[in-house]
Amino acid sequence: MNGISIGRVMRRPEFGAALSFAAVIAFYVAFGGVSLGTLFGAASWVNFAANLGIVALPVGLLMIAGELDISIGAMIPAGSMTIAILSGYYELPIVVGILGALGFGVLVGLVNGFLAVRTTVPSLIITLGTLVAVQGLVLAGSVILTGAASVPLEAPAWAKLVFGQLINGKFQVIILWWFALTAVFGFVLHATRYGNWIFAMGGDEVSARNAGIPTDRLRITLFVLSSTAATFVGMCGAILFNSAQVSGGMNYIFNTIVSIVVGGVLLTGGFGSVAGIFLGALTFAVVNQGIYFTDIDRNWSNLIIGVMLMAAVLMNNSFRRMALSFAPKKRK
Amino acid sequence: MNTNSSVHTVTAVSGGHDIKTTLGQLSRRPEAGSLLGLIAVFVFFALLGGKVFLSSAGYASWLNVAAEIGIVALPIGLLMIAGEMDLSIGAVIPAASLTVAIVSGHYGFPEAVGILAGLGVGLIVGFINGYAVNRSGVPSLIVTIGSMFSVMGLTLGLTVLIAGSTGVSLVPSPTTKAFLGQFIGGMFQVTILWWALFVAGFFYLLHVLPVGNWIFALGGDKVSARNAGIPTERLTISLYMLSGFCAAFVGVSQVMVYQSAQVLAGQSFIFNSIMCVVIGGVLLTGGAGSVVGIVFGTLTFAIVNQGIYFTGIDPNLGSVIIGALLLLAVMMNDKFRVMAMSYVAKKK
Repeated sequence: MNGISIGRVMRRPEFGAALSFAAVIAFYVAFGGVSLGTLFGAASWVNFAANLGIVALPVGLLMIAGELDISIGAMIPAGSMTIAILSGYYELPIVVGILGALGFGVLVGLVNGFLAVRTTVPSLIITLGTLVAVQGLVLAGSVILTGAASVPLEAPAWAKLVFGQLINGKFQVIILWWFALTAVFGFVLHATRYGNWIFAMGGDEVSARNAGIPTDRLRITLFVLSSTAATFVGMCGAILFNSAQVSGGMNYIFNTIVSIVVGGVLLTGGFGSVAGIFLGALTFAVVNQGIYFTDIDRNWSNLIIGVMLMAAVLMNNSFRRMALSFAPKKRK
Repeated sequence: MNTNSSVHTVTAVSGGHDIKTTLGQLSRRPEAGSLLGLIAVFVFFALLGGKVFLSSAGYASWLNVAAEIGIVALPIGLLMIAGEMDLSIGAVIPAASLTVAIVSGHYGFPEAVGILAGLGVGLIVGFINGYAVNRSGVPSLIVTIGSMFSVMGLTLGLTVLIAGSTGVSLVPSPTTKAFLGQFIGGMFQVTILWWALFVAGFFYLLHVLPVGNWIFALGGDKVSARNAGIPTERLTISLYMLSGFCAAFVGVSQVMVYQSAQVLAGQSFIFNSIMCVVIGGVLLTGGAGSVVGIVFGTLTFAIVNQGIYFTGIDPNLGSVIIGALLLLAVMMNDKFRVMAMSYVAKKK
């Protein structure tokens, strides 16, 4: 009985992510001389994980559905620039800025989604196109409208409280958003029929459509979700730091893909879990930011990420094979 | 005109006398769309940029950019035709330049040793990529993201460990400089000639040698290709080693041109090379594409990227044009491919 339940845990998509998380912490404790108290009391990596994780959730869902969105790398600075230009430079009410930032996300998501539905072009190429286009638009737009590549923003107290507060002076309030969004996404993916649709679409799109799933609408919705989540992260950053910068965001492209894959999602679609994506973002953040608490030179963190990604992928592959080929033993 | 006729000689094998058929054939070639894009972009910037864009300094500015991306875009295009991707080039370029700079600049070994070591780094990373792709069954996008992070981390860590900083300088000897880092006429990088050489080599490889057919077959249907007796695993590894080698070559020539190596150079090559290849009419899912198309795509990209500085337009809008061009190219190629696949010659 016990053996079977262990097997069941091991076949879950997030098992590999949990294992990687534990392995990285163990590695840092053993070789980096880090004390667990300092690491878990520190805010930097949790903040990093929250920003990454909010983008990773919808992108992970897209990946489960068999698509990819790399335009998020441009959407994060786009979100922060939109709110800063609207509410900072033109001094419109903050609500207009917030709606503007999120609206821009919805718009680009619609473009991505429509192109993905209407053409047979892989979404990697489509979103590469929108990535470059949005990047140029944001850069040129901010220079033409404001004359600078960095725009200050003074958010009113309530907006700061909701989107840009530092709890205990160090934990960004976006962490709470991350938790909440994880719960919502977890519910949608694992407890509603929409979640089943997403898995079905990633597993076999033609069969999914034949079964009556509105795949086109679903795909557009997922693209809208991912680019809106990216502008949300950018918006919160602008409110928190009282200014928006054009640069930054490109790192998110690879960071999200890595954390999702480490979280046990299959790039080709049809397999994954929200808990895994959550743990993947956490693991990535520990590697990337936790290294500052160790004696290890921080330049090695990329090597650890690369090795971890390969290990996670190979591990997930064998777990998945186990999951797919598993047949419960017949009782005598 | 010159480019036109070279395209034609390729198609002429099946030879139609009728001009209409020839035009139809041309428009179904993978590079037809990219040629149109190239002409449109060139005319656009020639009109807006005027004399400066058409001066030799204008040509130099975009040819220099095209040459560096072009050398990387060629093997990336071949990999894409074979149905694979390689993102690790973004890390291999700085890794190779730092290897040269450290071996020859920091330790003072002869330059030949440094250059060989630099190119060797590319070959090794390529071999590992190919081997991992074959063995793991994981999409090459993920495998090469993994090797990209690993190589980047190794480059950063080792450079800081050995040289104590993230930039290493190297003063090349006159001969090496003449071969790899010279500015012909004070503005044209010698890399342009190397690019031409690479283009000729790749053209021969893809369109003349049997290996070229193997690559198309691999991208079209891997299982059938293997069943037909094509050594798919060896081919995949060779293609990855080729892309590692070319990326390393660009890295090496960059050191010779700029006389120093930086850890964080090369990131932009990842997406830029993919865009050049896709604008050039290569199908991301494999099985369709041509070397001439990749060259057109690279030229188009470079003209937009550099030509924008000769106009009064905000340079940042250049990337909007590139993004739009990419989407347009992709959709047009989609159309052309459907035309090509469904084309039936009229019975006489």
